[in-house]
Amino acid sequence: MTKLTLKSAVAALALASAAPAVMAADLVVGLRAGPDSIDPHWSTLGSQAEALRHVFDTLVDVDEKLQLKPGLAVSWEPIDDTTWEFKMREGVKFHDGTDFTAEDAKFSIERIPEVTGPMPMTLYTKYVDSVEVVDDYTLHVKTKGMAPSLPNDFTRLFVVPSETGMEAGNEEFNSGEKAIGTGPYTFVSWQPKGDLVLKRNDDYWGGETAWETVTRREIPEDTSRVAALRSGEVDLINYVPASDYLAMKNDDEIDTFVSDSIYILNIAPSVKDEEPQPIKVNGEEVEGNPLQDLRVRKALDLAINRDVLVNVVLEGLGTPANQLMPEGFFGYSPELGKREYDIEKAKELLAEAGYPDGFEIDFTCTNNRVPGDAVVCEALAQMWSRLGLTVNAQALNGTVFFPAAAREEYTMTMSAWGTLTGEAAYTYGALVHTKDAEKGFGNFNRSGYSNPEFDKVFGEGSQTLEPEARKKLYEEASFIAMDDRALIPTVILQTVWAANADTIDMTARVDQETRTYAIKPVE
Amino acid sequence: MLSYFITRIAQAIVVVFAMSVIVFVGVFAIGNPIDVMIDPGATQAIREKLIAQYGLDQPLVVQYWTFLRNVFAGDLGTSMVYNIPVVDLVFSRFPATLELVAVSVLIAVGVGIPAGLWAGYRPDSFGAKLVMALSVLGFSVPTFWIGMLLIMGFAVELGWLPSGGRGDEATFLGVSSSLFTLDGWSHVIMPAINLSLFKMGLMIRLTRAGMVEAMGTDYVKFARAQGLPDRQIVFSHILRNISIPIVTVLGLELGSTLAFAVVTESVFNWPGVGKLIIDSILQLDRPVMVSYLIMVVILFVLINLVVDLVYARLDPRVRLKGGA
Repeated sequence: MTKLTLKSAVAALALASAAPAVMAADLVVGLRAGPDSIDPHWSTLGSQAEALRHVFDTLVDVDEKLQLKPGLAVSWEPIDDTTWEFKMREGVKFHDGTDFTAEDAKFSIERIPEVTGPMPMTLYTKYVDSVEVVDDYTLHVKTKGMAPSLPNDFTRLFVVPSETGMEAGNEEFNSGEKAIGTGPYTFVSWQPKGDLVLKRNDDYWGGETAWETVTRREIPEDTSRVAALRSGEVDLINYVPASDYLAMKNDDEIDTFVSDSIYILNIAPSVKDEEPQPIKVNGEEVEGNPLQDLRVRKALDLAINRDVLVNVVLEGLGTPANQLMPEGFFGYSPELGKREYDIEKAKELLAEAGYPDGFEIDFTCTNNRVPGDAVVCEALAQMWSRLGLTVNAQALNGTVFFPAAAREEYTMTMSAWGTLTGEAAYTYGALVHTKDAEKGFGNFNRSGYSNPEFDKVFGEGSQTLEPEARKKLYEEASFIAMDDRALIPTVILQTVWAANADTIDMTARVDQETRTYAIKPVE
Repeated sequence: MLSYFITRIAQAIVVVFAMSVIVFVGVFAIGNPIDVMIDPGATQAIREKLIAQYGLDQPLVVQYWTFLRNVFAGDLGTSMVYNIPVVDLVFSRFPATLELVAVSVLIAVGVGIPAGLWAGYRPDSFGAKLVMALSVLGFSVPTFWIGMLLIMGFAVELGWLPSGGRGDEATFLGVSSSLFTLDGWSHVIMPAINLSLFKMGLMIRLTRAGMVEAMGTDYVKFARAQGLPDRQIVFSHILRNISIPIVTVLGLELGSTLAFAVVTESVFNWPGVGKLIIDSILQLDRPVMVSYLIMVVILFVLINLVVDLVYARLDPRVRLKGGA
């Protein structure tokens, strides 16, 4: 091929690709992950729920801060210790024109155990004993024991028409035949790992949405997603990598949207009688476990400069954390102030505890689980070395870290935890409560922490149906656990979206979902 | 000829069988996929029920036996993540990979062999040295990085080509492919070039080495003495003599690119099988891993068979013997 023909060939290709200009009423979004199926009862995966929300509605919805708000159910209340009453929204129609009634909600709850896959949604129906349709718009759910968090579980309960039939599976949903919901968009097409194409539902009960068609394109590779935005191929991307964030923030052609996420990097010091990896002074193993001493845990906490972690280590993409959940979550304690940084006080406390010259300790973290985990790990080790400690920091791949952490082989760890449900019971029941396989508590409590006072307050909370009273109890539990340094929270990680400047208007969500129907074009 | 085929197919069956055992044991050793997939909020009861539902509580031998029985019944399993039969899943994405690989092999051969011939024909010329220097780059610069450079240059800065994905498809003679549309070509050209660079470097070096060696041989000298024009000597004598190693390497490269073009597919967000298999490994989607690897073995066996047939065509001294 001569130079001339090569040039003209490239020019021809360029013309071809530049031809279709994107219409304002269409939105193309580049996302890191998409659904695994169009069946809304198949998997608990976050990216699955996020995508299917466009086609199907849940009984209970959540706002940007993960707090409950009405969805297909307009209200809910416990009528006795083991019965919840849900009132259904009237006048809602499925995409095929049939009316939505309580019968459809009942069918959806009962369909889950029949069809759910290896990421089982039975998680959200585990408290359900039986479901009763009282009338077209009233549903009674009988629970196994008291279940104050049932409305939280139902935030992932997508409703399909009762005509769907129990035998319909992924195939019928993926083809679109059964992909009929009440949501803001109707299903057009989907390819695994490819595009999910949606068309506006003009009869949506929740009001009009801005975009005529929406294409949700999966682009898992970070750099490729950024390139797709910069080349104009997509209008919006999620999970902007930290390495591109600063450049985009200072770029007039790009708008960024930042939100705290539910993920917080927490330090878990083992408080067992014998620590799994020995703690040493002058090469000699010390008697007992220094981490059992609250003064030592407080010293570790005081030596952490969270402002440096956020502004320097994470390049601004974080918020200092003072408890295990972001502000506004159900059970967040407003009593707890900002964590202070005071290296002198930390040294004093350490000396009081009998370690004036510090000690040598192993510290293990994840290095690929969330953005920034490895760098925060190294920074913490440096901060503690100012305190006089010798810290052997090690950041490991999650596939190595998690099984070993589950075997409780580490003395002190750091990893991320997200309060997926927006309320304290999820996090405290798994992380802080005394390990108790029978009650199903403490599944992820690997530090051996056990505080009867905390367990009592938390236990009372989980047996209180009245929301305000329960909230107060969880706030008290937060205070007890944090004051006792059961875990030491460091930073809340943030999520970034990016779009071409002055094109769209969106509210960044704490659950990291990209809800296309809540996004509006800039006029 | 027939007995040759029968022997080859018998060998292939043994290889596939051995491979299935190795893959199955290896995947079994990694661990329980339920532990990777399950949500932290799940209870122990939910977990155990699932493990039983997928038969993961059975001993290895029993699981393998079930798998074999299903394969003989024509069922290669169903993806745990997508709940779609593995065969459907793979073949829904295979055409995309096939297009990408076909274009990239054409580029590698179409540019690499002539460039290699030239570099061997005039080894001391400036052009030949330039070609050799560039072929080293093709080998040594990571494809990931070149891919990003291509995207930054042609998609972001110049805006000539799309940054990723596969273009519109059209149907021609009953075959649906994005290569039948201009939009499809604008999407395939960058990833194909990116994928071809390594193979192109390989082709250039192999061809040049063969060419340099052949230029000094007696048959070339005789041909020259006979007064044949250089063009005829190079294309009808030398090329035919040096093509056996080229065809061998091309066959192997073709197989590995078809099966594992994953880096290029990720960078250009190309909806091919490479991305599918990597995701399946990360999620421990056992049925997809096992069945896909077995399909890859079959693919390699087939390609080797074709390569052997091409040998016989190129070099009459190679006989396809049944007993060999």
